Amino acid sequence: MLVAASFFVFTFVTVSGDPLAALTITPNVSPETVNRIREEKHLDEPVFIRYGYWVKDALTNQFGTKLLSNEPILPDLWRVMKNTLQLVIAAEIIALLLGVAIGVYSALRQYSPFDHAATSFSFLGLAMPLFWIALMLQVVFANVYQKTGHSIFPTASLNSVDPGEGLSFWIDRVHHLVLPIFVLMIVNMAGYSRYMRASMLEVVNSDYVRTARAKGLPERVVTMRHAFRNALIPIVTLSALSWGALLGGAVVTETVFSLDGMGLYFVNALLTNDPYPVMAWLMITATMIIVFNLIADILYGVLDPRVRYD
Amino acid sequence: MPDPILSVRDLKVDFRTEDGVVHAVAGVSYDLYPGEVLGIIGESGSGKSVSVMSVLGLIPNAIVSGQAVFKGRDLLAMSSNDLRKLRGGEAAMIFQDPMTSLNPVLKIGDQISEAVLTHNPDVSDDEARARTIALLELVGVPFAERRYDQYPHEFSGGMRQRAMIAMAIANSPSVLIADEPTTALDVTIQAQIVEVMKTAQRETHAATILITHDLGLIAELADRVVVMYAGSAVEVGDVYTIFDSPRHPYTVGLMNSLARLEGDQEWLQPIPGQPPSLINLPPGCPFHPRCTLSQGRARCRTEMPPLRQVGEGPPHLSACHFAEELAGETPYVNVGAPSSS
Repeated sequence: MLVAASFFVFTFVTVSGDPLAALTITPNVSPETVNRIREEKHLDEPVFIRYGYWVKDALTNQFGTKLLSNEPILPDLWRVMKNTLQLVIAAEIIALLLGVAIGVYSALRQYSPFDHAATSFSFLGLAMPLFWIALMLQVVFANVYQKTGHSIFPTASLNSVDPGEGLSFWIDRVHHLVLPIFVLMIVNMAGYSRYMRASMLEVVNSDYVRTARAKGLPERVVTMRHAFRNALIPIVTLSALSWGALLGGAVVTETVFSLDGMGLYFVNALLTNDPYPVMAWLMITATMIIVFNLIADILYGVLDPRVRYD
Repeated sequence: MPDPILSVRDLKVDFRTEDGVVHAVAGVSYDLYPGEVLGIIGESGSGKSVSVMSVLGLIPNAIVSGQAVFKGRDLLAMSSNDLRKLRGGEAAMIFQDPMTSLNPVLKIGDQISEAVLTHNPDVSDDEARARTIALLELVGVPFAERRYDQYPHEFSGGMRQRAMIAMAIANSPSVLIADEPTTALDVTIQAQIVEVMKTAQRETHAATILITHDLGLIAELADRVVVMYAGSAVEVGDVYTIFDSPRHPYTVGLMNSLARLEGDQEWLQPIPGQPPSLINLPPGCPFHPRCTLSQGRARCRTEMPPLRQVGEGPPHLSACHFAEELAGETPYVNVGAPSSS
């Protein structure tokens, strides 16, 4: 899977244009310099040979270096990846917990005021574009800061200028991540609550829940032991599929909040027209999505004995 | 006759729908005596399941009225918590479709021992496991020890229904309700399940309500029969009387519509027409538009016939104004000799 991904990533990035095109029309750069870089990076070779060079670099040499410097790519990517994972995993966990809780409660109290409120909120959450929520929150909290002098939540970057050490560093980090996490989780949470509600409603009316009632189990046991676990199964699939969208959403969120994460890194790499960080980013993202899918599959087996591999 | 263990009086069950109120059960009364098998028969939508399940609070969104006295307590006046303690304890159920009636993510054994543990808080997990394995053996599940830890998808349909029966008799109920226990199974398995049901009844001495549209199953298992049509009981009597001398045109129609082994019969004889809408029942007798006996008689269209004793023999009730006209007409079906159970 990763081999296939790497090949497609390389081919598509390569055919998307000459990375040195901008350099050739820059007045101060001599054609000799451009040619030297072209040779150094093997840009004059056929695509398959270049792919070979790139794979070798990726495996043995920290994804190689950037186009115009000898800075290795992996250390940078490693740093931003840690930051992005904090953001993305936190957002996903909160979205799952809240979405599932709201969905279950909505299903158990179908057509109650809470259910109607949750439904409206979900559609709002699904309809609002990420960047718009992000910008609106920035505007609101920046204005609050300007008017009152209180910074409730910081509207940019991952840390304060001087975050301190240990615990105070993490408190500062969490404080900075509140708004980005909120932005990133809102869509997923809305989706999960809808799916969980539908799934729970279906399960609650199923024959085996009736059997559980006929056994004389208390309603709490019927709901949690018999209905909830079955209703959770489709959500696991959904969560596995959501990681792609989540990492895509991180690009927007990190750009708006100028967080030093993978998203911003990717945007900057694209803007400088440097194919090497772009390809490295795509590979890391592909790996992450595969890993998250694997986790979801394992979880699937834990929840549902029918798909267990004995 | 001893006192009935369950006595249902004038039970009415309504459902509110967008098209109007559905009168699923329109005033049904029946008694269940200790140790007997009471068969409730009728076509789909006749209210046979609802008239039993609603009494135990298992039908969501149903509007139930009437009386259902079980061992001196009215089930319909009981708190939902008291009713819950009764379910699976003194009154247990077997459902139609064993494929969907077991929870797919829990072990079969755990689902059965759950029933034991809920009603016997002082039983330990190990004791419940031992009891479950004994129950599984009783209903004929081979390798019960190993089968305990398997999931429903590892069981065949017949084995699942055996597990359902084991679950139902786990707490030695005094009333056992079987809602079309063989309908979802293929014919060879049906016969086996009938045997298991007999075993279960012998073990627990539970009074059993058998809900079905299978006349053969009734003939095999039931002692007394209630025939239901459009939410009302139209004929009540013991199984021999009902099969030998039915006194309601609907019952006669049901029996004539059966395929018979003896005789040269080219076509089945269906009852003409459709069951009535339960939102707008026809005035008078609900069966009159399809009845061979009514033939446009005004009384059938205006007056709802009460359930009344016909003849002078054993208790035999029919809700037909002209029940006596059916005397002497023998239907095709023979019950055969009384079975030993």
